[in-house]
Amino acid sequence: MSIELKKQVIDILKILQEKDIEIEASKLADELNVDYIVLMSAINDLIDNNLGGFREEEMYQVSLSQEGLTYLEKGLPERQILQILLKNEIKEINLDDLRGQAKLEENLFYVGISNLKKNKWVAQSKATGENKIFLIAEEFPETQLEKFLKKFESNEIVDYSTLSKEELMQFDILNKRKLMNKVRKTQRIIYLTKKGKSIPISEIKELKQISKITSEMLSSGTWKNCNLKPFDVTKPGPLLKAGKIHPLVNLINEIREIFLSMGFIEIRGPIIESAFYNFDALFQPQDHPARELQDTFYLNNPKVAKLPEKDRVLAVKKTHENGGDSGSIGWGYEWDENIAKKTVLRPHTTATTMRRLAQFYRNNEKVPVKVFCVDRVFRNEKLDKSHLAEFTQVEGIVIDDNVTLCDLIGLLSEFYRKMGFKKIVTRPGFFPYTEPSMEVSVYYDKLDEWLEMGGSGIFRPEVTYPWGIKEPTRVLAWGQGLERIAMLYYDRTDIRDFYINPIKWLREQSYLK
Amino acid sequence: MPTIELKIERLERLVGKKLDLKELEYDLQWIGLDLEDTNVEEQKVKVEYNPNRPDFSSPEGIARALKGYYELELGIPSYEVRPGEITLNVDPSVKKVRPYIVCGVIRDIDLDEDEVATLMNIQEHLHWAVGRDRRKVAIGVHDLDKIIPPYRYTAVKPDSVSFIPLHGDGYPMNLEEILLLHDKGIEYAHILEGKDVYPVIFDNNDEVLSFPPIINGVLTTVTDDTENLFLDLTGTDFKAVNLALNILSTTLLDMGAKIESVKVSYQGGKEIITPNLNPKKWEVKAGYINDVIGLKLSLTEMIKCFQKIRMDAKKSKKNGYLDIWVPAYRGDIMHPVDFTEECAIGYGYFNLPLTIREGGVGAYHPIQDFSSKIRKIMIGAGYLEILNFILTSSEKQYDLMKQNYDKTNIVEIANPISKEYNTTRKKLLPQLMDTLLLNRSEEKPIRIFEVGDVILLDPDEETGTKREVHLSATSYHDEADFTEIRSTLDFIMISLGYENDFEIKPNKNLSYIDGRYGEIYLKGSKVGEIGEIHPEVLLNFKLEFPVAAFELNLQDFL
Repeated sequence: MSIELKKQVIDILKILQEKDIEIEASKLADELNVDYIVLMSAINDLIDNNLGGFREEEMYQVSLSQEGLTYLEKGLPERQILQILLKNEIKEINLDDLRGQAKLEENLFYVGISNLKKNKWVAQSKATGENKIFLIAEEFPETQLEKFLKKFESNEIVDYSTLSKEELMQFDILNKRKLMNKVRKTQRIIYLTKKGKSIPISEIKELKQISKITSEMLSSGTWKNCNLKPFDVTKPGPLLKAGKIHPLVNLINEIREIFLSMGFIEIRGPIIESAFYNFDALFQPQDHPARELQDTFYLNNPKVAKLPEKDRVLAVKKTHENGGDSGSIGWGYEWDENIAKKTVLRPHTTATTMRRLAQFYRNNEKVPVKVFCVDRVFRNEKLDKSHLAEFTQVEGIVIDDNVTLCDLIGLLSEFYRKMGFKKIVTRPGFFPYTEPSMEVSVYYDKLDEWLEMGGSGIFRPEVTYPWGIKEPTRVLAWGQGLERIAMLYYDRTDIRDFYINPIKWLREQSYLK
Repeated sequence: MPTIELKIERLERLVGKKLDLKELEYDLQWIGLDLEDTNVEEQKVKVEYNPNRPDFSSPEGIARALKGYYELELGIPSYEVRPGEITLNVDPSVKKVRPYIVCGVIRDIDLDEDEVATLMNIQEHLHWAVGRDRRKVAIGVHDLDKIIPPYRYTAVKPDSVSFIPLHGDGYPMNLEEILLLHDKGIEYAHILEGKDVYPVIFDNNDEVLSFPPIINGVLTTVTDDTENLFLDLTGTDFKAVNLALNILSTTLLDMGAKIESVKVSYQGGKEIITPNLNPKKWEVKAGYINDVIGLKLSLTEMIKCFQKIRMDAKKSKKNGYLDIWVPAYRGDIMHPVDFTEECAIGYGYFNLPLTIREGGVGAYHPIQDFSSKIRKIMIGAGYLEILNFILTSSEKQYDLMKQNYDKTNIVEIANPISKEYNTTRKKLLPQLMDTLLLNRSEEKPIRIFEVGDVILLDPDEETGTKREVHLSATSYHDEADFTEIRSTLDFIMISLGYENDFEIKPNKNLSYIDGRYGEIYLKGSKVGEIGEIHPEVLLNFKLEFPVAAFELNLQDFL
């Protein structure tokens, strides 16, 4: 039987025969000026007729990292430091002075110094009692490393396998200094079979198959005589680049819906907050470790916030100092208004809850008040696979007469049941602003594990009395972080994924879990 | 949270009961402890306790609570302090620098290796939990027989006193030199910063016991031969120094030590006898405790609950009230409400019933509601939602976007984790550009949007700032242009019913191409910007194709 192919496929076969080499698919698509998908569909036709095929090969592409790119522009740290010495005609200098002049981060500065020494351009000596750097070379030719770096000036992405032995050494050095990116790519190499190479083009019949019905065919009736190309209906289509809600927003919305169904009203409050609403109003003493710089972000601009009405500030002050009218003995120290005025990036949404209590007082509101908040909070924490400096907190509170710890357990059970956790357990816990306090864990059947969800409790009288919320009116509260749950929900192992937007993941992630 | 390591065998000895690891793990949670780690081979567990319970920083302290939980012992443990002869005089000069001191004497100590380790460990925990890293409380332990009473706590000029400090080079140093050269001096010098006199404890021969809160003298070093100990606790908070002493003393008493009191005489003030391990009495309304928890316990049942958590309680003279005695090692009882939790722990959290209170009508916040609408419209327009941090860098936010700024008109974080996060965002667009950079090898077109918060300086606001919700969208592919993004904006406005209420006024903006940029006006006021991104900005973000973008302030739509 003779072979029938579409004209386009015949053309591609002809070119491949003329070239008589194997060629990478995207390169061929560029050369032929055809769409990659069109080309691959043509290759599939060749495969069907045993004329050609492709194989997949892994290759590595290397490029400069963000930091590497800045060095391409400014020179490596060693070159930058050298320039300072040369520009200012410095022959010897105190190491710390040099550090001051080089506008480099500490670790980069020392990398630079150590490489200057390695290049034998400078020497370091403490012989004079001072830690000094001496310029010892006369000439400072471009190093192998710098030559290699330059390779990326014209060619942003380089095929790893094309690197020479010398270049590989330089690559390893730069890679260790985190100046390189190395990415694995899969590429398709197209080839012809023996049959494909030898078949005379003249023997191939042109296939008059059409893939699309046009409006002209329909109106003229010519569709009746057309040979419609069959599709392989079993194959998946290309990924649709459609619009979609972010997975975390999807989860946030589910939780907001649960709150709504339980009769809670959503509240929002400032992200840059005063220490007053963040800590002082929550009865956290001013020397509490959580208030320190290593836990909380403070601001240089704006440096201070205004405090609320004088009498409420006084009520909070008194509560700290001697318990005020709350029935507490207080912390027994002198409360400082200036510490309360400091601005912070709020470390918890409880600051917003406090503002709601203040509003309750100012508007002389009636109970019950049921409110919730799902919003961003900040902690001074280095980012890694399981820590974020900015994340989402979920918080719910109820202000009502005669509410009890058992009511709180009831609320928690309902909330987590609606989130899909059928069993919960509450244990004694500790939070500076609640008493009694409870830790909440839920049973996650998929992992057959108990998960710690967050904290809960009844606000201490020291927290509520300054805002006129007094026995038998009490405030139930609970809260938790969201991203850890989201990691389970969406099977992620790196918590940062929720904020760095890997588009491939966002396009493919399912919501149903 | 602080953690301590416990040997099962030792805990069993202290509790007086065989303990199964699995059971122990289960039981500890009900007294507010958390089993962090179990080492079956070495029969050890790591237990986490809450910072309000520094009395849990020793196996002895945990054993006390467990004995109550297992009902092996109920009520307050009894502790005896024998009256001692030793006096310490406090000079008023310490008021300016470190006003409080309390002391104790331990006789005929006979501690095994584990107990010595516990003693070292508990000091470390107390320094941290009660002492705020020695600022509030610092503890000194001395060999009593090397010094001659009465002792003297006073404040002196930094260069006026020299002694040989512990862990030094063996030479005398004056106080100033210690702060400059000694390891501990360097570590804790900040506590004495700005003071013109420093605290010192002398014995009757003017030998230095200690330079609190920095270092002891070598004179009173505790060795294997030490028989009697002198404890000094100095600090800035009277309650805190007493609490730390009481925790230390009760732990030592649990180890079988004998404790003698010390007369601390504040010259020109009062005289106190420490340690004072007498329980503190509170009178609390039983009905209040039931009300807060949601139980209906009888007085007798409630008394049992308190005994189980090692407090004493009995019916008060006042009808419906309980007299409750709190042991001296508990520093966390400040208000009657604190007894509600104690009672609940005694009752067992696992026994608490759940009650449901229905009611209330829920509602979303208007801006969140509007944001959800906007999200739906953007998804209809084929845009993928992304999320970025509010934290960002001034470089990304301004420099890469070719926008000018100076430090006075941006939010500046005082203690950023890195340059990458030194400010908060004022616009969403720069981070969308960054997202494109990170995803530039993905299949195009890439059409993304974000609905999120930005923060603006505003001196009229209480916090000096205000937050607004913005929408920004970008289209990135080889044919992205103004027309495309304009269509998207029009689609939003039509969907919201504002098609006749908005207009675009041509303008200039350094981030955008001249002649392809305009400001968006809704009913006469500016609500956003739209245009094609300037090639220099594209190159700053290492992009290879054009970007068309807009940013809208959603707050202005409400």
